[in-house]
Amino acid sequence: MSGRVIVITSGKGGVGKTTTNANIGTALAKTGKKVVMIDTDLGLRNLDLLLGLENRIVYTIVDVVEERCKLKQALVKDKKNPNLCLLAAAQTRDKTAVTEEQLKDICEKLQKDFDFILVDCPAGIEQGFQNAVAGASEAIVVTTPEMSAVRDADRIIGLLEAKEEIKSYKLLLNRVRPNLIKSNDMMSVDDVVEILSADLIGIIPEDTGIITSTNKGEPIVNDEKSLAGKAYNNVARRIIGEDVPFLDLEEPKGLVAKMKKFFSGLKGDK
Amino acid sequence: MLLQNLYNKVLGFFRQTEQEEVESAKDTACNRLRVVLMQDRTNLTPELMDRMRKELVELLSKYVEMDKEALDLSLEQDGEQVALMLSIPVIRAKDEEEIKEALAKEDAEEDNQNEETSEKDDEAEDEQTSDDEESSEDEEAADTEEPQEEIEEDKKD
Repeated sequence: MSGRVIVITSGKGGVGKTTTNANIGTALAKTGKKVVMIDTDLGLRNLDLLLGLENRIVYTIVDVVEERCKLKQALVKDKKNPNLCLLAAAQTRDKTAVTEEQLKDICEKLQKDFDFILVDCPAGIEQGFQNAVAGASEAIVVTTPEMSAVRDADRIIGLLEAKEEIKSYKLLLNRVRPNLIKSNDMMSVDDVVEILSADLIGIIPEDTGIITSTNKGEPIVNDEKSLAGKAYNNVARRIIGEDVPFLDLEEPKGLVAKMKKFFSGLKGDK
Repeated sequence: MLLQNLYNKVLGFFRQTEQEEVESAKDTACNRLRVVLMQDRTNLTPELMDRMRKELVELLSKYVEMDKEALDLSLEQDGEQVALMLSIPVIRAKDEEEIKEALAKEDAEEDNQNEETSEKDDEAEDEQTSDDEESSEDEEAADTEEPQEEIEEDKKD
């Protein structure tokens, strides 16, 4: 087996890299794939929290690198899905504790046992980013329809294009707010895609459920009713190679909303 | 106060059609982003763009009379291709004589400069041991600035 190594990156912090990682990982594992997630955000680890695994971590990636344990010992199994594992970041160390070569080596070893290795990249374009990208051959660039996030995504795309090892990268647009887009107060999906001229792999709507799911340590893809959960599940299916259409986020719910849409459609005929 | 409110509302109603033409927050974001990304990608800072703009005004003024303030220079992207867009409102085409005059003046300037620089070179050669070179460079810069001012004055007439 030779698994795919995908780095999830963004440049800017707070756009949802770690949430994306937790959800895509969980969604891929639900389809029966063997998935391992690597948190490379040394000193600022959070992926364990989003997965609800914070109390199960014994060894971290730094312990593996410094040979205090074997790689397999450091992999924490998910509570629900045995296909899903986490290699946690060390909380007490900084980005220099692991080198690019070491991360590459870990990824190569994991490729033998897993279908997917998802690397959670820290914010920024410094050593932490270079480390995270080192072992990957694919990338998902997470951004939101905000100027600063798009600008940073553009920078990251430039850096990824310069890396020979990265064969392809896709854009994931997070925290999309259809209402604001409709009222022309926010850049639309098309705007961002056009500005960055990158292929899209997912559109995730803003969802308050993300907050509660983070609080519970339960990825939102496990919530069948959530729109964001559905969107993340679709991303996972696209990664596997299925052709899944993008969700129509503007579809109004309920009769009243549909009537409203009908009448506003008549009025605002342009 | 109440009346004023009412007045504004009525006025606002009639202005609504105009207001629709006002740039939306989304368009502002897109436009600002496009500009800033072009700068990021091309390493052309606003200062450099401004300099390019000034130099273009200088160059093109020889051939047409244009609205210097309204000259718009921007980078635009169409897919993978980056284009430099220049929009110049032409006030009046210059007639042949004016163009000839401007070109002649420029040629004369160039000759002057060449002479000056060759003179300076000679001087420099003569005074190789002295440390006067810096001051001579300053003189040169001052000399080249003067003729430009003359051109501008001519146009005002």
